[in-house]
Amino acid sequence: MDVLHTDGNEVAGVLADVLAVDPTRVRRRCQSCRDEQPLAAHLAFHGAGIVLRCPSSDDVAVRIGVQGDHLTVEWRGTYRIDIARDAQVARV
Amino acid sequence: MIWRTATARAIVAESPRARTIVLDVPEWPGHRAGQHVDVRLTAEDGYQAQRSYSIASAPEQDRLELTVELVDDGEVSPYLIEELRPGDEFEVRGPIGGHFTWSVADGGPLLLVAGGSGLVPLMSMLRHRAARGSDIAAHVLVSARGAGEALYREELERLEPRTGLHVAWTYTRQPPPGWTGWDRRVDAAMLDAVGPGPQAGAQSFVCGPTPFVERVTELLVDAGHDPRAVHAERFGPTGG
Repeated sequence: MDVLHTDGNEVAGVLADVLAVDPTRVRRRCQSCRDEQPLAAHLAFHGAGIVLRCPSSDDVAVRIGVQGDHLTVEWRGTYRIDIARDAQVARV
Repeated sequence: MIWRTATARAIVAESPRARTIVLDVPEWPGHRAGQHVDVRLTAEDGYQAQRSYSIASAPEQDRLELTVELVDDGEVSPYLIEELRPGDEFEVRGPIGGHFTWSVADGGPLLLVAGGSGLVPLMSMLRHRAARGSDIAAHVLVSARGAGEALYREELERLEPRTGLHVAWTYTRQPPPGWTGWDRRVDAAMLDAVGPGPQAGAQSFVCGPTPFVERVTELLVDAGHDPRAVHAERFGPTGG
C-alpha cells in the first residue's frame, strides 16, 4: 500500500453534494469481502479523480470524478449502504 | 454544501512552519470538535486549488481557527503560510465529517494520538473539554520531529482541568536540550504506558500522516482495543 492515500474524511466535502447525510458516517458493505465500514475509514486515492477503497479487501468502493461543474460518482463495488437517520446534516 | 467567504482576522505563528488563522465566516453554523473544512483558493485566471484543514478551535469559541502547516510542494499551504495577511479572504465549506468527532456528551476515557500537525483536530477536542470544565480522562500522546515543530506546547501545559488530563510527548529527531523523555517513534510499549488500556473502553482518535496513522491504529487493535472505537484521520504523506 503506498502512502499517498488519505481517507474518506477528506473526501466528505465532495460527497456531501450527492448525499443528504454526513458522508463520513455512511456505512458501506463491500461487494467483495462483505465487511461493513464507515466511508470515513475507507482509503482515498487521488489521481485523475478520487478512488475510495475498502480498508479490508482493498477493492474499489467508490469512484468520484470532478470535471468543471460536473460531479460523477460510481458506487461500484458497493453491496449496500447503511445510513443513520441522525447523521443528517443541515442543508445550508 | 455551499462555499462561504472567510476573512482572516488574525494570524498567530505556532512554529516556523505552522500558523493559526483566525477567521470570520458570516453565518457559520457551528461545528463539533474534530471536524474539518475544505479551503478553496481561486487564482486570477480562474484556476482553483482545494485542500482540507482541521478546525483547531473549540465549538465554544467565537471565531473559527485553522492551524495550517507548510507543505513545501503544496498548492494551498504555501499561500496560507507565506502570503495570507489579515483582511485577506478565501472560501471555505463545512463543517465536514461526523465520524472523527468527540464531545463531552460522548464520555470517555479518551486516547488521543497525534503525529505532527495531526494534533490540530485533537486540540479542538481538548479545548472543548476545557471550555466545558470536564474532567473526563484524556490521555494524549504527541509525536513530533523536534521541539521547534511541536504545536500548542505551552497551551497543553496549562489546559484546565488538569484532573484526568495526561499529555506525553515523543520527539523522533531533535528532542529539546536536556530532554529525558521518549525520543523514538510510537510503539506498543509507549501506547501501553500512556494508557488507557484496552479494557478501559476508551474512544481513540488517531490523526497524522498516513503511515503514522496506519501504524498506530494497527498497534492499538493488536493491543486489544475495539476497532470500532479507534477513529482515524489520515492526511497523506505530509498533508496538503
